[in-house]
Amino acid sequence: MKGRQIRIAVLQFPGTNCEYETAAVIEAAGMTADVFRWNRRSSELAGFDGFVIPGGFSYQDRIRAGAVASKKAICAVLVEEAGKGKPILGICNGAQVLVETGLVPGNESRIDMALAHNKVIGKSGYHCDWAFIRNETQEKVGAFSRLFAPNEVIPIPVAHAEGRFVTKNANTLDTMVRNGQIGFRYCTSTGEVLEVFPVNPNGAQLNLAGAYNRAGNVLALMPHPERGAWNRQIPIDLERKGQRRLQGLEYSRMQGPGMKFFLSMRDYILEGSPVQ
Amino acid sequence: MKYTETIPVSGQTSDAELQALLRKMNIGMSPAEARKVAGILGRDPTRVELFIFDIEWSEHCSYKSSRATLKKYLPTDASNVILGPSEDAGIIKFTTANGREYALVFAHESHNHPSQVLPIEGAATGIGGIVRDVDCMGAHVIAVADALRFGNPSGKNAARTRWIANGVVDGIWQYGNALGVPNLAGDVYFDDSFDDNCLVNVVCLGVVPADRIIRSRVPRQAAEEDYDLILIGKPTDGSGFGGVTFASEIMNDEEKERQLGAVQVHDPFLKNILITRKANKMVWDLAFERGIPIGMKDLGGGGLACASSEICSAGGFGAVIHLDRVHTSMPDMPPEVIACSETQERFIFAVPKEFTPDVLRIYNDIWELPGEANGAGASVIGRTMKDPVFQLLYHGETVCEAPIEEVTGGIRYERQAEPIEFKGTNPPAGEMPDIAGSLEKVLFSLNGCSRYPVYRHYDTEVQGMAVLRPGESDAGVMAPLELTEQCPAGVALSVDGNPFIGEIDPYWGGAAAVAESMRNVVACGAVPRALTDCLCYGNPEKPKAFWQFVRGVRGIADAASRLWQFGTNKEPVPIVSGNVSFYNESALGLAIKPSPIVACVGTMSDYSTAVGHMVTGAGHQLLMVGRRRDEMGGSAYFREVFRVTGTQAVTIDWEQERKDMHGVVQVLRKGLATACHDIADGGCITALAEMLFSHRRAPIFGMTVRLDDTQGLPVDRFLFTETGGFILEIPEENVAAAMSLLSDNGVPSWRIGEVTEQSRIVIKHKNINILDIDIKVLLYGWFHGLEEASL
Repeated sequence: MKGRQIRIAVLQFPGTNCEYETAAVIEAAGMTADVFRWNRRSSELAGFDGFVIPGGFSYQDRIRAGAVASKKAICAVLVEEAGKGKPILGICNGAQVLVETGLVPGNESRIDMALAHNKVIGKSGYHCDWAFIRNETQEKVGAFSRLFAPNEVIPIPVAHAEGRFVTKNANTLDTMVRNGQIGFRYCTSTGEVLEVFPVNPNGAQLNLAGAYNRAGNVLALMPHPERGAWNRQIPIDLERKGQRRLQGLEYSRMQGPGMKFFLSMRDYILEGSPVQ
Repeated sequence: MKYTETIPVSGQTSDAELQALLRKMNIGMSPAEARKVAGILGRDPTRVELFIFDIEWSEHCSYKSSRATLKKYLPTDASNVILGPSEDAGIIKFTTANGREYALVFAHESHNHPSQVLPIEGAATGIGGIVRDVDCMGAHVIAVADALRFGNPSGKNAARTRWIANGVVDGIWQYGNALGVPNLAGDVYFDDSFDDNCLVNVVCLGVVPADRIIRSRVPRQAAEEDYDLILIGKPTDGSGFGGVTFASEIMNDEEKERQLGAVQVHDPFLKNILITRKANKMVWDLAFERGIPIGMKDLGGGGLACASSEICSAGGFGAVIHLDRVHTSMPDMPPEVIACSETQERFIFAVPKEFTPDVLRIYNDIWELPGEANGAGASVIGRTMKDPVFQLLYHGETVCEAPIEEVTGGIRYERQAEPIEFKGTNPPAGEMPDIAGSLEKVLFSLNGCSRYPVYRHYDTEVQGMAVLRPGESDAGVMAPLELTEQCPAGVALSVDGNPFIGEIDPYWGGAAAVAESMRNVVACGAVPRALTDCLCYGNPEKPKAFWQFVRGVRGIADAASRLWQFGTNKEPVPIVSGNVSFYNESALGLAIKPSPIVACVGTMSDYSTAVGHMVTGAGHQLLMVGRRRDEMGGSAYFREVFRVTGTQAVTIDWEQERKDMHGVVQVLRKGLATACHDIADGGCITALAEMLFSHRRAPIFGMTVRLDDTQGLPVDRFLFTETGGFILEIPEENVAAAMSLLSDNGVPSWRIGEVTEQSRIVIKHKNINILDIDIKVLLYGWFHGLEEASL
C-alpha cells in the first residue's frame, strides 16, 4: 500500500462550513482531500479510500441537525462504503449526520442515538470553547484513535448547540461500552471524567465526545480535531508556561493533538482495510 | 392600479396636506424634499419614484447631515490604502505571500434601530449585511466583531433590556456561526442611556489577493459591449420595506408595528452557499480566469433600487431594469416593494452578456439555489446603458425614469451645532476608600466583569485561523494565510468606544475610542494599519446633538493623524470605512451617550510573536508604560465606587502616546515580553488583576506590586485612573533590554512588580500592604458579573 495516493472525500452539503480547513488538515496528514459537493454523482464516492463529513449547519439543521443530509444519495453510498471497512469521520454536524444515518452506533442502520440540545449552566444555545477529551480505546483499535496512547488526554475545541449524545434505549450505552465503541470522553486536563459543566460541555451521557460503530471504522466526534491540529491553534492558557510565545514560529507550526485523528486514519488505510 | 400615475406634489397642495399625503404613503421625506423631486424630474413623481428618492435621500443612504463634517476632518488616505471609504468596504495592503500581494477588506456598520424592535433579526441581519459588504469586494471573509451597548438590565426597562441583550447575542451567534465566520473581537457596555436605543455595531474583515479585487461599479467595458444586470440570492419579498427610513428617524412606540415590518429576515443558510468560498467565488474565479471584467455589489439599505443605481452610476452608466423579472417570494408584488424592499442575502452583478449563462448556471444549477434554498436563484433583471438614466419598468410600463446621478447624488443639509456644557460632580474630598472593596466593585460590575457569557456563544474557531481569542488577549489575532499559503503574517482586530468619556467630552470620547482600539492591537504585538468608525448619536436636527457629533469626528480625526502609523513618515492610520447612525433618541427626547465606536486592524509579519494578556511565569517582571494622570471623569472607579461621573475626562498626550505605542510594538516584536495588557477601563489595578484571570483554569499565578512612586497622585487615583498605557510581563533577563529599548524611543517605563506563584494579588505602598486578596475571590465575582443581566 505504501507510496500510493490516499484519497479522502470531504463531503460538502449546503450549510457545511468547515470543509476547507478540514481538507487542509487531511492534506497535512499526507493524504489528498477532495471537497465533494453533495449533488455530484454519488457513484464517484466509491473511488475514495475514506470520508470525512465536516462541521457546519447542513440544511439549516432543519428537522434535527444532520437529519436532512443523512437522507441524501451520497449518504446511502457512505453506508455501503462503511460496510467495506473504509474509515468515515463525522465531525460536529458530521457526527450528527452519522448518527442520523444509523451508522453510529450501527445496529442494522437503526437510529439508536441522537444529539440533543446542550445542557449547560447559564444561558442555553451554542457553546464554543476548548475542552479536554480522553482516549477510551485500546491500542490500535478504532480507525481514528490508533496513534493515541490509552487514556491519553488532549485539548480540543467544541462548538455546537446540539452536542449531547443521548440514546433511545437505556441499554444502548452499556452495549456500546461492552463493544468498545466509546471513543472519547470529556474530562479535566488531568483526565478525570467529571459530569460538571464545562468539563462536560453539553451534558452528554457518559461524557461521550466521540462514538464508534461496532467495527471501529466510523467515528461520530462532536469536538473539532481540525481546529487543534497545530500548536498555534491551542489557547495560551491551556499551556502552563506560554511556551508558544517563547518558542516562536517553528513551535507554532508543529502538529498538535488534533492531527493524530487524521494520521490515525492514514495509518489505518495504509494497513489495509479488513474488508475489500 | 396604474403604476405610471403620478402623485400631485407640486402646485396646488399645501405643506400640511402634502405632509399628510406623504405620511399616508409611509414616505418619510419632507414636503420641501418632495417638491425638489418634482423639480428634478420636471414633473410630478410616480409612487415608485417617490419611494426611491425617499430612500436615497434618507440620512442612512445620503449622509445628508454628516457628509460635510466627515469629508472635512477624517484622514482617509495613506500609502497602504488601496480603496478608501467610497464603496461597500475599505481595502488596505496586507502582505506578500508566495510572490502574490494580499489585501485586507474592512467594513463597519450599525444595526441599532432594528435590534431595538426585533433583537434576534436585527442583530443577525446586521452581521449578514456587513459580511456582504466585505464579500462583494471579492474577499474571503475571515472575521466579524461586535460592539454592543445595552440599557440598564436593572433599570426602568429591565425586562425589555434583558430581552434585547439576550436576543442580540443570539442573533449574532445564530447568524455568524451558521455562516462559518469566526467572531474574534468586541465589547459590551450597559448604561441607562441605551434603554430606548440599544447599539449593535458590527465589523467585518476579509482577505483578498490584491489582483482579484472586485469593484462595486459597472466596468468601463460596458461602453463597448452589452452588460447584463443579474440579481442573485433570496427571492425578493416585502421584508425590510422602509428599513432605511426607519433607521433615519426617532424610535416611537406608536409606530412600532410599522417598524417591525421594516426589519429584515435573515437566512445564514442561503448566505453560506453564496459566500464562504462557494458560489460567489466560483463566479469570480471564472471571470478572472477568462479575463472578464465584472462589477458586483451587495443589496443592503434601500434594496435593489439603491444597489442597482449605485453600481451603474459609479461606473458612469445608466440602467434599465424590469422589476417583473426579479424573482420574488409571491406573485404580483407592487413595483415599489420590489424596488425598495431590503430582503436579505442578495447581490447584484454586472457582467457581459456572453458571460451571463455561466453565472446563471453557477447559482441555479451547480448550487441548486432554487431547489435547496426556497426559490432563491439568479435572474437577469436588466442591462446597463450609456444614457445616464435610471429606468424601471413594470409589465412594460415605465414606473421610474430619473437622471441616475440625481438618484444617487443625495442631498446635503447644513446642521447647526451648539456646545453643551457638561455638568458633572466629583466625589467628596475625604478618606480614601478601601482598595480591595473598590477593586471588587469595579471588577464585578456590569461594565467591568468578564464577557465570557457573551463570547462563549460565538464560534471563534471556524476556519482554523484563530491565534488569540477574546479572553486571551486585548485584540483577536488570526493567521489568515497560514493554512493556504504557509505565510506567517498575522492580523489583529479590535473594536472599542467608551460611552462614559463621550458624555463628559465628546471630543475625547472620539479620540479615546481610536487610541483604545489601537492600544488593543499594539498590546498583541501588531501595528495599527487602518480604522473604521461608526458614529452613533442623537437627532442631528438638534444643535446640541450635532455638536456632539462634530466634536466626536474631530477627536477621531486628530487621533488617527497624530497617532500616526509606526514606520511611516507621519502617515495617519487611515479611516477606510464607516457609518453614521443618527436619531438614537426615544420619543421622549432621551438620547444615547455620544458613542463613536472605532475598530482597528493591525498587522504583524509573524503571528507567533503575538502575546496574550495573561501572565505566563512566576518571577517575571511587570513593567508599566504610560504616565498616570488625574483624569477620573467617566472612570469605572467614580461610577462604581462613588456613583458620580466626575468632570475631567481622559485625555491623550499625542506625542507621548504615540511614542508609547511605537515603543511597545518594538519590545513585542523583539520578543522581549511574554504578555501585555493595555490600561483602560478600571485603570492599571484592573489591568493587573485581569492579567491573572483565565476562564479556563483555576488561578496559577499571583503578583506583588510595589508602589513607591505614584507619580504625584493619591494612591487610589494612581491605581484607578484610566489614562491609556500598558502593562508588560517581561522575564527578568529581558528587563534591561526592554527598558533601554523603550527609553531609546522616548518611552518612560516603571518596574512595578513581579509575578508570583501564590495566587494572590498583593499591592504594597511604601512597604504597607494596601491590597492582599485571593485571586479566586476576584475571579469568581468577575466571572459571574453578567448574571445580573441574565446573560
